[in-house]
Amino acid sequence: MVGCVSGRREAAIRLLLLVAITAGFLLPLAWTALASLGVLPDNSSRPPSWRGRATLDHFSEIGLAEPAFWQELATSTVAALVAACVTVAVSFPAAFALARSRFPGNRTLTQAFLVLASLPAMAYVIPLSDLSRRVHLIDTLAGVTLSEAAVTAPLAVFVLHGSLARLTTEWEEAAVIDGAGLARILARVVLPVAAPSVAATLLVMFVLDWNLLLVPLVLTSGEVKTIPVALSDFFTFERELDWPTAAAALIVSLAPLAALVALFHQALESFTLRAPTSTDIG
Amino acid sequence: MRLTRRDRLVLLAPLAILLGGWLLVPALVGLAATLTTYSPLSTTVAFVGGQNYGRVIADPQYRAAVRNIVIFTLVAVPLELSLGFAIAYLLRRPIWARSWWRILLLLPWLVSPIAGGVMWHYLLGGATGILDFGLGWLGQPETASPIGDVHLALPTAIAVEVWRVTPFVTFLLLPGLASIPEERWEQATLAGAPLHRRVLDIAVPEMLPLLLTVGMLLVGLSLGAFDTVLILTGGGPGTATLTPALYSYDRSFVTNDWPIGAASAWLIAAAVGLVGAAYVQLSRRWSAA
Repeated sequence: MVGCVSGRREAAIRLLLLVAITAGFLLPLAWTALASLGVLPDNSSRPPSWRGRATLDHFSEIGLAEPAFWQELATSTVAALVAACVTVAVSFPAAFALARSRFPGNRTLTQAFLVLASLPAMAYVIPLSDLSRRVHLIDTLAGVTLSEAAVTAPLAVFVLHGSLARLTTEWEEAAVIDGAGLARILARVVLPVAAPSVAATLLVMFVLDWNLLLVPLVLTSGEVKTIPVALSDFFTFERELDWPTAAAALIVSLAPLAALVALFHQALESFTLRAPTSTDIG
Repeated sequence: MRLTRRDRLVLLAPLAILLGGWLLVPALVGLAATLTTYSPLSTTVAFVGGQNYGRVIADPQYRAAVRNIVIFTLVAVPLELSLGFAIAYLLRRPIWARSWWRILLLLPWLVSPIAGGVMWHYLLGGATGILDFGLGWLGQPETASPIGDVHLALPTAIAVEVWRVTPFVTFLLLPGLASIPEERWEQATLAGAPLHRRVLDIAVPEMLPLLLTVGMLLVGLSLGAFDTVLILTGGGPGTATLTPALYSYDRSFVTNDWPIGAASAWLIAAAVGLVGAAYVQLSRRWSAA
């Protein structure tokens, strides 16, 4: 028996460590949040002090520095939302097919999706932008959205395969005996059981799409800009920006993701990266 | 359930169309183009064989970029894995406000690499930054941003990347770690095994496939590192933080030397492919054992 006292002491130590680590990781973000409110340190005084009264003015200054900012925020939202939905809609049936088939090389094929997910975007963005121009998808929301969906699809297939391969097939077999067709089984039997991990995958794909830079960057010459593209343009062309205004823009672009994660944190716990094994149900 | 050939075709077709049209075909077209003088702006195309690759490899800038990315990957990935594991270990068992720790600790990963670059640029360099504030408290004089220092720029870029990616690693490792039965930890504790032995003997063997998978993702991300350094340092000072992906971006879009940009990008892809092949081999061996 491990004593109750030492167990409690261990829990206290764990909690203390967690507080310290969380504080360390969030300090830069807290600093940025304070700056966005106009609360800045005065580093020239000894010891450094804080100055400035909290204000929301810097949030309205974003629109003055970058007039299209709110438009770009809308573009980011629509593109990431639609792209995440397309990714999952396309990856879910494919992952099901992979999880319920046995053929030589099945496992390697699934792992190949993970390797594909790790492929640096630079390897294909240049021809992607060139081909998109030829089929008139450049500078369109559809072009950006479809490309974002394709980039994140390999990871979605890998993750969904992991959760589908783990499910028992009993319900599916019963539905087959009842004479249900493939589409019906997928929508009415498999999807409800796999719903938590599908939701988690959707959320993670949204975050990945929201933060993509290279792919949307090469697909636009300025008409359809997402937030990361706008940020990169802004700072590449060496336009100086007031730190509080930049901080406000950063906070605004982070807030939607933070809100989503906080709202759906329970669903996120179902996001499990699981390597295919030889004991997967065929 | 048993799927017929037709079922499989129907289920896989949408993915095949999306990946084919927007990922695989562009990638293969790009690969073929690296053997030519093709560029979106030129009207004539000539076959040049491996000449583009030869020019890339001979470029001292590219060699510097390769050196940087090797250091970057060898330092960042083990740090991300071990730190991410340590935090997941703390969160493994029920603890007060566990959901909130999980949400808060995921926040740095939600910051896009580009926004992270902007943020750290100001935090490290600005007169109102975090670095000078800390030094001020210690009674030290203000210092120039480490981003501008030849020796400190690369470690700084690595630190920023570790700050952003570690929370994601914790997020990925936690379910695997939490699924190990509590009894196994308790038995080892009772047998007097110290913490490092418990981790090495219980958690690591159990989580090997997951660690391998996360490792594969991290190495791929790291080899393609681009947006983290783009704003933070722009590859500088000199070539101190130049990465192959940034080199490729610069050749393709800034100096408009398209064939060189594409060839250098495919060298990165080849490296990721090699790591991927090793990943498939290793996971086969370990799951057979």
